[in-house]
Amino acid sequence: MDQDTIVYDSLSERPLPRWLTDQRDGLNTYQPEMAEMKEDRSLGVSFAVTGLIIVLAVAFLTIYILRKKRSL
Amino acid sequence: MVLPCSPEKTKEQMRRIKYIRIIVLAGAISLACTTKVSEWMLLNSEPAQYTLVYMHAGTVTPAVRQQNTALSASLQSTNIQFRSVQREEAENPYYALYYKNRLFSKYTDYRELDKLAISPLRERIARELMSGKLCVLLYLRSDIKEKDEAGLRIIKQTVASSPFSKIIPVIELSRGNRDEAHFVSLLLNVESDLRSIREPMLFGIFGRFTTLEPLLAKGISAENINLMIDFLTADCSCLIKDNLPGINILYKGSWENPAPALVNPILDASPALLHR
Repeated sequence: MDQDTIVYDSLSERPLPRWLTDQRDGLNTYQPEMAEMKEDRSLGVSFAVTGLIIVLAVAFLTIYILRKKRSL
Repeated sequence: MVLPCSPEKTKEQMRRIKYIRIIVLAGAISLACTTKVSEWMLLNSEPAQYTLVYMHAGTVTPAVRQQNTALSASLQSTNIQFRSVQREEAENPYYALYYKNRLFSKYTDYRELDKLAISPLRERIARELMSGKLCVLLYLRSDIKEKDEAGLRIIKQTVASSPFSKIIPVIELSRGNRDEAHFVSLLLNVESDLRSIREPMLFGIFGRFTTLEPLLAKGISAENINLMIDFLTADCSCLIKDNLPGINILYKGSWENPAPALVNPILDASPALLHR
């Protein structure tokens, strides 16, 4: 029904049903997704996050050790 | 008395349940992908609903109300809903048959609705489908002898040479058949222009009376008939499920407990016939 009649000029030009043309053209079977290249920023983000964690860890440990030394 | 389970045992049981779930899910997925279109439609696809509307402008007389109650009761277990609608323009009351918001037919007389959802040929076709046949090829004659005979010859030759010939009954129907007037009308509504085309038509009927858009005139060729058979014997893809072709014919009957699909033993015996 959703593939209902398309306007045509004569009976010989009347289009074949869509289920039939799809079957003929192999379109009724599952078409695998086309692989597309996408911009990948995950590596950069990973480096940035790792760097930030290292800097924070060094800063935390520095403050911690300095305070500990002072209290001694 | 309930014995306490050790944590290790519980873990082991959970792991087993997980494996069973994975196996069951994999089985279900593999079944879904290898079920043939015709079989999947018969088992899973609910027929689409028609709507029969009683259009009237004023109050409904008790006699008409009683008549409509009887009509509604007679349409139980049919893929149709009945309702009454008041509209000012409907000075002369009438019944309108809709399929997915498309007007199929108008009936001015209540008696015209007799056997709307049932007829001998529809019962016969439903029996064929329920017995596990792949489909029914319904040849709607134009009642022009030369055209009809040429088309019928091609159909019979093509079906006879198909490996699925035993599970594809070919049934003929004349456009002028009075006992099947409602059925003919429904078929000619599969596409909006069919009524105006005086050519023989070949309808593939499968599942729960799903009827494909027909092949007609020169479209009734061996190549196209074989494509129709291929369509029905293919694995049921999600693309077909999401965009079902054709319409469901109005039919009063049960689709419970169909016989196993006869296409599967044929495909098991000849794996070369398998295709997607």
